[in-house]
Amino acid sequence: MSMEQAKLTIALPKGRIMDESIEVLRKAGLRLERSPDKRALIHYCEDANILEMRNSDVATYVELGVADVGIVGKDVLLESGRNVYEPVDLKFQACRMSLITVNGFDGKITRVASKYPNSTLRYLQEKRISADVIPLKGQVELACLTGLADAVVDIVQTGSTLKANDLVEVDVLFESSARFIVNRAALKLREKELRTIIEALRLEAVKQAV
Amino acid sequence: MNFAPPNGTTYTLPATLRRRSDIVQKLTRLYTSWGYQQVDFPVLEHYDSTHPIAEQSFKLTDRDNDLLSLRSDFTTATARMVQVHYADFPHPLRLQYNGKLWQTVNPDIARTREFSQIGVELVGLSNAKADAELVYLAKESLREVGLTPRVEIGNPAFVATLFDLANIPSEDRTELADAIDRKAIQELQERLNRYTLAPDLYQALVQVIDLYGDTSTLEIASQRCPWPETQAIIERLKAIIAEFDDSSELLIDLGMARRQDYYTGFTFRAYTFDFGQPILGGGRYDGILLPEAAGFALGLERIMGAQSQVDDVFQTTIISTDDTKAAYLRRHGYSVERAVETDLGTLLERAKDRGIAFLVSKTGVEALSKVAKESQDLERLEQLLEQDLLEQE
Repeated sequence: MSMEQAKLTIALPKGRIMDESIEVLRKAGLRLERSPDKRALIHYCEDANILEMRNSDVATYVELGVADVGIVGKDVLLESGRNVYEPVDLKFQACRMSLITVNGFDGKITRVASKYPNSTLRYLQEKRISADVIPLKGQVELACLTGLADAVVDIVQTGSTLKANDLVEVDVLFESSARFIVNRAALKLREKELRTIIEALRLEAVKQAV
Repeated sequence: MNFAPPNGTTYTLPATLRRRSDIVQKLTRLYTSWGYQQVDFPVLEHYDSTHPIAEQSFKLTDRDNDLLSLRSDFTTATARMVQVHYADFPHPLRLQYNGKLWQTVNPDIARTREFSQIGVELVGLSNAKADAELVYLAKESLREVGLTPRVEIGNPAFVATLFDLANIPSEDRTELADAIDRKAIQELQERLNRYTLAPDLYQALVQVIDLYGDTSTLEIASQRCPWPETQAIIERLKAIIAEFDDSSELLIDLGMARRQDYYTGFTFRAYTFDFGQPILGGGRYDGILLPEAAGFALGLERIMGAQSQVDDVFQTTIISTDDTKAAYLRRHGYSVERAVETDLGTLLERAKDRGIAFLVSKTGVEALSKVAKESQDLERLEQLLEQDLLEQE
């Protein structure tokens, strides 16, 4: 028996992006429904099983083939360094990865705090800034305000948090939005099924962008 | 003292080793039946910064402070052996190998730092027939170990040729090829928008990420990429596929843009259902490591991961207190331990704890477990020992 008939496994990040993801996948023709049980980790649906997880784990599940496909922000995907196909930019969850300092900072940047140490390191090397990277788990802006770091690298969506704390973006590393990612073997072995989904998602993304 | 082996390495216990040896035996037999001769290489190599895996190799220092490295790639090892030993030897050469490799990667369920491969190299030929022989053997390799094969064929030169036609600056090519290889459509379009490209070339470069699927993909590619340079690559791939009566197990991906640097011609990977990692990888590396050569290797750990949870075969383990009977059974191919315990109680207790199936003594054979009692082995052993008695009389 070949596994071509097995149900698709989808890795999705918990939180608001999960609802948006389910919605867009539904528009692409998949019959999906969250489990009524709030604590469920696996949502068994008509057309697929959804694995609910931390956003930083999505690419891991997909690269290793435990999930066939997933949805994750480009920021998190870049940070993971995982080797997956990313055939659709879903356009939602738009944000930018920025270098942030306190308003008026004009000294030399020697320490940069971030939840994205790999992206930060890559940026600093590219810009030939010799600074240490301090990996933090959350509320990185605090590092700037307290002097733990001279600057932070973090995602900026509306910029309201920055304004409220008198912080400014001094550079943009890259723009980010949600990506539909696919395991390398799955794309080839479930070709027809996934091609249909990819094409439908690309159409949805165009609508989203307008 | 920490006796656990270093991260990414492991002790191999009997049950795993039995499965691994079984795989190696089957594949060695397959390659031998096709005329591939077994060779072996040193684990220690001179460290060479131009080696394709140099950055990921384990380094050691020799007594005279020469830098050595642990073997990290069989294709490079084969190429170097051929240059040393087979320079004036009539070609083609068909060689096979198996053994361990070491790379300083971050271990996870798909990668370990010490791993085993088995593979073949076909040296001194470069044509579609030779390519097809390797693709066929790749397919059969998976079948031989009980997996349903899908072999995906591509050629990184296809994308490189599109870059040439579009005059993409050489310093941008690595990142652009990487975006194509990841089928990262957004990033690809963003990068391509930096150039002024003819519309047909822009379209071809964007659409190349979707040129995958069954062998009819080559027809679509042929229509979308009408340039003589790209046609030549498509024609060669078609010629490989034409060697097969049934191409239903073959797949194409012309967006396969990044492979090991030494590949210059077609490349291929094999997948099987319900396993998220390629099991086999290979390709043609004419002009880089050798003038004309191609080959492939399979990851043994990957094969074992992909084989559905095989129960370890019931082992006919025997312990004996009778040396004559033991010798007789060994001559018949059985593995028989010699009991060293002096009293029967201890012997039985230990044998049962260790899962030994049978006890052979002066009085005959006795099953030590329920499974052993119900197995056909008991009957077979009884018959053998009876026959021995008859012969002695």
